[in-house]
Amino acid sequence: MTSGPRLFSILRQGAILIASIHTALDDTQLERFRADLIDRIGHDRAKGVIIDVAALDVIDSFATRTLRGVADMARLRGARTVIVGIQPDVAFVIVQLGMDTGSLVTALDLEEGLAHLAAVTGAPIGPGR
Amino acid sequence: MAAAGRAGPAGDRPSPAEITALIPLVRRVVAARVPDRATADDLVQETLARVLAASARVEPGMLEPYAIVTARNVVASLWRDQDRQRRHQHRVVDLRPPEAPDEDVLVQEDREAVTAALARLTDRERATLLAHEVAGQDTRSLAAELGSTAGAVAAQLNRTRARLRVEYLLALENAEPPTDRCRPVLLALSSGDRRRQREVDAARHLLECDVCARLSEPLMGRGRTRDADVRVPVQSDADVVAARSAAREVAAGVGFPPTDLTAIATAVSEVTRNIVKFADSGEVVIEAVEEPRGIRIVARDVGPGIPDVDRALDDGYSTYDGLGLGLPGARRLMDEFAIVSEVGRGTTVTMTKWWGER
Repeated sequence: MTSGPRLFSILRQGAILIASIHTALDDTQLERFRADLIDRIGHDRAKGVIIDVAALDVIDSFATRTLRGVADMARLRGARTVIVGIQPDVAFVIVQLGMDTGSLVTALDLEEGLAHLAAVTGAPIGPGR
Repeated sequence: MAAAGRAGPAGDRPSPAEITALIPLVRRVVAARVPDRATADDLVQETLARVLAASARVEPGMLEPYAIVTARNVVASLWRDQDRQRRHQHRVVDLRPPEAPDEDVLVQEDREAVTAALARLTDRERATLLAHEVAGQDTRSLAAELGSTAGAVAAQLNRTRARLRVEYLLALENAEPPTDRCRPVLLALSSGDRRRQREVDAARHLLECDVCARLSEPLMGRGRTRDADVRVPVQSDADVVAARSAAREVAAGVGFPPTDLTAIATAVSEVTRNIVKFADSGEVVIEAVEEPRGIRIVARDVGPGIPDVDRALDDGYSTYDGLGLGLPGARRLMDEFAIVSEVGRGTTVTMTKWWGER
């Protein structure tokens, strides 16, 4: 699993974790992503999580459920989650697919996601502020 | 490099000039052993790099002998690599196992099966086929003899060959088709005639009939060589991603707009995941359809089957309860959606999206 380009990255910015998915993930890789992210939340004592899914061209039922699961687990570990970068076509299809996304907090892009987390967690974002 | 950490005071390290001075010497050592200039240059570079990396550890004045030894080692390891490649080369090409002791028996059985298969053709079919294949008579002169056209004879020959393949397989397996649907299905598969395959509902029959499922294996793949057709074997998670990107590609070729591409890829993702989750293996066949323009996707597995298809397609729209198979969602994303499933035999999902329909 260590060879080849990284499938996702989890970077820390202050009390916020920014998790970017770089390419289409299969189910096993998605589960790994979830496990890694939950680990990091505890390890880094994160207050907020941003998941950037802009690179995903398909968010099907499994991916939606996984993202929902991540957000729930993160909440139980004391962190808020915002999903950013859902592509317009993907949003359209998620609705058509009939997936329940009510519990997911989303923002248009990284900037708005960070602003939202700063507002709800009071966590400082980065060294500049 | 560990050497860098252990580097002594700057005075101990050889100057760049000292390293450069080694070049003619190293080149001589390497060139004496390696005739190819480009390779020799590479090896000189590598030697110098190693000497440089180790230079802090080398006693002053010993740089020259160290460089010579290093050059020799570099050349020797090149030879070792080449030698290993040579020794392993046969594995790349020699795929044929040594002749098995039962080969003769198999050849004998093979011959008997061909004889039996030929005997089951009509006299006329057999005569035409043998005249063409064995005696080498061309279709035009055959047509003249039979009072027909060359094209018709060629088509007839194709049908005969398809039958011969089916009869050969039946004779080889010593199998008698259990139902009267078997022969038409096998024939349709053997001739690669997809219209005929749909007419006799070949895919469904293969799910139902063990004999045909086994016999048809060598017939599969006939007539599927058109490039509009993509088959993705499905066994693991990664194949789900492969299947949906293949579908997206075919759909893009058909000319679907981006939103539809995403919808199609998502639907394929859902039905393919079920193969991975519930059946050990299956396949997804993606086909661009003309007149009317669209894309047809068939996901087939030989898994446990779905006992209650209606329930699998039923969900509370907003809660996404259902059976969690993703099938209702996939159905909503496509224009046509059909499931044939038989418990213990497998499931076939056929779905179509038409271009330009909303």
